[in-house]
Amino acid sequence: MRADVLLHGVKKSFPLRDRESLTVLDIERLELPLGTWTVVKGRSGSGKTTLLNLIAGISTPTEGTITVHGAEIFALPEPQRDRFRARHVGYVFQAFNLLSAFSALENVMLAMTFADAIPRRDQRRRAADILSRLGLGARLSHKPQHLSRGEQQRVAIARALANDPPVILADEPCASLDARTAHDVLAEFLAVCREDGKTLLMVSHDEVALGDADRVVDMRDVNRAARQRW
Amino acid sequence: MRYLQGRFVASALTAVSIALGVGLVIASVLLTRGVKQSFVDGTTDYNLIVGAKGSPTQLVLNVVFRMDTATPNILYRTYGYVRDDARVDVAVPVAMGDAFQGVRYVATTPAYFAAFPWRRKTFAIAAGRFFRDDVPDHPAYEAVLGADAARRTGLRVGDRFYEGEEMAEYPLTVAGILRSTGSADDQAIFFSLPSYWAMNEVARKMQIKPLTAVLIRAKRMSDLPSLHREYNVSAETQAVFPSAVLLQIFNLLTLAEDVLAMILAIVAIVVALYLFVSMYSATLERKREIATMRALGARRGTILAIVLLESVAITFLGAVLGLGVGHGIAYVGSMLLASRGGPIVNPFAVGALQPVVFGSVVIIGALAGLLPACLAYRTEVAANLAPLS
Repeated sequence: MRADVLLHGVKKSFPLRDRESLTVLDIERLELPLGTWTVVKGRSGSGKTTLLNLIAGISTPTEGTITVHGAEIFALPEPQRDRFRARHVGYVFQAFNLLSAFSALENVMLAMTFADAIPRRDQRRRAADILSRLGLGARLSHKPQHLSRGEQQRVAIARALANDPPVILADEPCASLDARTAHDVLAEFLAVCREDGKTLLMVSHDEVALGDADRVVDMRDVNRAARQRW
Repeated sequence: MRYLQGRFVASALTAVSIALGVGLVIASVLLTRGVKQSFVDGTTDYNLIVGAKGSPTQLVLNVVFRMDTATPNILYRTYGYVRDDARVDVAVPVAMGDAFQGVRYVATTPAYFAAFPWRRKTFAIAAGRFFRDDVPDHPAYEAVLGADAARRTGLRVGDRFYEGEEMAEYPLTVAGILRSTGSADDQAIFFSLPSYWAMNEVARKMQIKPLTAVLIRAKRMSDLPSLHREYNVSAETQAVFPSAVLLQIFNLLTLAEDVLAMILAIVAIVVALYLFVSMYSATLERKREIATMRALGARRGTILAIVLLESVAITFLGAVLGLGVGHGIAYVGSMLLASRGGPIVNPFAVGALQPVVFGSVVIIGALAGLLPACLAYRTEVAANLAPLS
């Protein structure tokens, strides 16, 4: 099966004082086949979020190459990499990161504005469709602060799906929700990803996610830096 | 705009601060320019003013601009000497009296309103007629009101009026109302010298009647120095060139303008700093939102433009509001000046001032937003997306 995401010889180090540096990620090779689900687990500080940020292109590797959906993302100039990310990668954050001044609908439309892949006249309808699909049809005009945490995370998921990206990254998307809500939201999220054939890389320790995954990756197995530390 | 709504209170306060600064600049410039212009518009067409010894500025301010207190009296015969002087083309006697509801009485002759070829100012009757040229034994007690004086007192042609019980015996009748001249004459009540002498208790008892000043137009400009010298040498009188006094007033106004310009420059700096601090702290507060937008695919240039546009939008709103505030303050200031007998100022004068101030404020807004915009531009995405603890 063709790899949709491929990391090769990727290292991420952060400079410390006295010209020293701390390597938090050292992956020789990691492949995510097209349309498969991969769940990443590992201890806190094992480099899970760094891995997602590198694949999203919002953090730059110290060494190595990362190919996403056929493009070597760090070979692209930054503006093109931003455009590529907007169109090809959906990111669901643990802390939702919704913009408080915008309604649920506008938060989703904002992602479309930056990607500029969907005609402006269709953006509102498409954003409403995605939100309705996630059970938020009656909450379109609500601001994030007027939504429950579960609803906020559904908006964040809708935003990640806004531009119909082939790759979805999710960083413990339900970690800040209570168990029941987390279960419901995760089930909906996974159902949508499965229906749409997304390549999913999710950091999670949830049993549902681990059980449904095509592959579970333990950071200790793929990240030499984590192995050396623990 | 939606991004501005996200911090409505802070943005509104910043816009209001800018509006107050812009308003202060607009109002100050309108009022100082207006005061200066009113001196220019209201200046007399006469070359020389002869009055009692004392302050030349006081004499001109009182006789021409109806400000300050009246100088001491001179004798009516001085007018006779001046009128009969071969070098004098026109001489007009004036006596500054009390006031009715704050509007100054000016006693003079019909010559005061005459349309001489050299006069720029023209007097026209809006209603009624000029007062009659009466004689001391038979004062007519007829008054002609300036346009503002009529508006302020509410008097109409045919109305009789007086101020104070002791003046009840000498009521004046409104004979006419003047059209506006755009000068201090709009704020005066004119009547004849015989009426004035009859109304004035001190003047009634005097054999030789008093005057405040004589306005002089010389036949030739070359005669002015000798006329000026002769009436200054006299023990009782002084002769003043109104243009020279006006120049002195302008010099004083220029000094005041310089001080005001310094104050306004400080106001502009304070407002720009306030905007900068507001935008800077807003950018710091929004690092997570900026990082989120970047993660969603917003380019650095887009983020820079958003912050710059926000800064410009706030200053634009503040500047628009400030124009209104400025004209409002100028209106109140002009009313206060008018009510205190000061110069007449047009608070709604429109010229280069408004676009220059508006453009400058928007440019200052863009400059104040530049550093916060650069800070937003450089925002580290991954570091600012970490979950909140």
